[in-house]
Formats: sequence, C-alpha cells, structure tokens
Amino acid sequence: MLEKIMKRARIVLAILGVGVLAHSCMAALAAANWRIDPARTHIAFAIDSVGYPRTHGQFRQFQGRISIDFAHPGKSSVAFHVKSGSVDVGSQSFDDYLRSVAFLDSERFPSIDFVSNSVAKVDDHTVRVTGDLTLLGVTRPLTVDVAVEREGSGGRLAFLAKTSIDRLAFGMNSGFPLVSRDVELVISSAATES
Amino acid sequence: MISLHWAAGAVILALLAIGWVMIHGGLDAAATFDLYQRHKSWGFVALVLTAGRLAARWLSASPPAPASPRWERRLAALTQGALYALTIGAILSGWLLVSASPLPVPTRFFDLFVIPNIPPSIAPPAPSLFAAAVLGHKLAAWAIALLVALHAAGALKHHFVNGDDVLKRMLPRRRRLAPRA
Repeated sequence: MLEKIMKRARIVLAILGVGVLAHSCMAALAAANWRIDPARTHIAFAIDSVGYPRTHGQFRQFQGRISIDFAHPGKSSVAFHVKSGSVDVGSQSFDDYLRSVAFLDSERFPSIDFVSNSVAKVDDHTVRVTGDLTLLGVTRPLTVDVAVEREGSGGRLAFLAKTSIDRLAFGMNSGFPLVSRDVELVISSAATES
Repeated sequence: MISLHWAAGAVILALLAIGWVMIHGGLDAAATFDLYQRHKSWGFVALVLTAGRLAARWLSASPPAPASPRWERRLAALTQGALYALTIGAILSGWLLVSASPLPVPTRFFDLFVIPNIPPSIAPPAPSLFAAAVLGHKLAAWAIALLVALHAAGALKHHFVNGDDVLKRMLPRRRRLAPRA
C-alpha cells in the first residue's frame, strides 16, 4: 500500500517538475533578443522623379535590435539606427550628392532612427509595428506591417516590411515636385535567437 | 586651328551622343546621373574649345574660299556661323537650365572640382526659366546635329564631286614619305 502511494507521489512530482521546467523555459523565451543577420538585412528605398528613371538605393551600415515575446507580442520591440552616409545608389557621384544638404545632410544628421513604441499581432504571419522615425532631426510616427516567417525548424526568422514615407514631413524638400514626395521603403531582415 | 576644329567637332558629337543616350537610353538612375555629369563636364570643354576657335579665327586670317558658286559660299559661311552661334547657345542654355533647375545639381568637372552654377541673381531657380532653357537647349542640340550633317555633306561634296582640296587641307598634314632608294 505504502509502496503504491510512494509510486503515485513520484509520478505527481515528475509531472509537476516537467511543468515547472516548461514554465521556466517559457519565461526564458519571453522578450528574447534576436541577433540580426547583417548579410541578410537590406534597408532599401525607391523614389520617382519626373523625366528621370526611378532611383533605387539602400543603406549599407546600420545597427538593429529585435526583441520578441511570442506569448505577449505587445512586449516585443524593434529599433534600427541607420548611418545616413552609407547610402548607396550605385554611383559614387550620386551618393555624394544624396549625402549633401540637398537630401540626407549626412554631416549634420549622421543617423536615421526607428524605435518602436508598440507591436501588435495582426495574424499568424504579420505584426503591426508602431514607432517613431527620426530623419533630418525630425521625429514622426510611423506604422509598418511586418511579415514574419519562421525559417526551417530552428530559431530563425525572416522579416519583410514595406511602407512609404512623406519626405516633406521631415523637411526634405529638395526638387519637389520634380522629385516625388513619397519615398518607398522596403526593409528585409533575418534574425536568429541569441 | 585645324586640330582645334577636329577636337571641338569630336567633343560636340560626343555631347550629342551622350545627351541622347542619357535621355532616351533607358539607363538606370545611377548610370543616368553619371552621364549627366559627363555631359556637363564635356560641355565646359566644348565652351573652352569654341572660345579658343573664335579667338583663333579673330586673330588669324581665314584661308581663301574655294572657287564655288556664290550661293554655295554663302550657305557654307552661314552654316559655319550658325554652328558657332548654336554651340555657344547650347552650352549657355545648358548651364542656365542646370542653374535654374528646381533641383540644382552641382557640376563636378570630371570629378575634379565643382563648376559653380550661374548665380541666382541672374538665373533664379524658376520653373518658367528652367522650361525655357530646356527647350532652347534641345532645339539648339537638334539644330547642331542637322548643321553638322550639312557641314559634313558640303565637305564631302567638295572632295568627291568637285575634286578640290577643301577637305584635304582640313586633314592633318601627312609626313612626306622618304623617297625610295
């Protein structure tokens, strides 16, 4: 009889133990930081002009931080700090011009920053990130829908965000209306759990 | 004088070709930007060469006109005069359109130094002035292309039809060959 009680008690303890372990694992997962893969991160833009081909480019240097809480998506966060001088449109001379006061004014404003305020789950593959974008020293709210895909079975995620911003809202007025006010942004990234 | 003529001619033909490709060539934005810079740089080379040619023409005597009918001599003189005027006009309207553009892009002369735009007190960035300069630049370019063709046709006619030395005397002087032993 005693032996039977002891055996059941061990089973209960074992189940409890697994539960505690599982809980602690979940706690560890909460708002985990993810390491951004720079080789697979592209911060690209495109802008139209009248009588001129569409200009495509990207920023080569940036720092980013992604923190994800799967249980509470609202506790997730993302921040990107992009070096404005690292603009690359495929021509040294064109890059220099974009770095000048006419557009990015990189000497005065070396960084373009996005810092999230809130993250909300839209569906199983999409989150809506709301935050502040600072460009040319002007901060404006920006909301972006980000497609999130899990890659393989490991802890690896791919992100894709597309949006457009009104450059005039940041005081970037050069060439308007010859050069469009809307700048299309396409940000793709991949991150591994750290 | 003769080498200045051919140098200016080559630069003007290159400017017409670059100008056409950068507008109609279907290139991407980066290649187009670089071609605009090349076009602007060569434009200032053409300005110096043309000014040099006008100065040389002013200072030295013109060669005697060939014994052609009067209307041909007049047409040739008119074509050559118009080419000078249109070349200067095309370069100045180009400089003006760059300066009055709603997006004034600095001219980097072969990436060596910046050639300043015409000051805003003379060429303010105004859409109407910009549009007028663009139209003037395009018309001058097409007119130059037509007149170059007419000018070349005249030279070829002298060589092949009249059989005179008008074209020959514009060619570089050949070294006299040593007599055979």
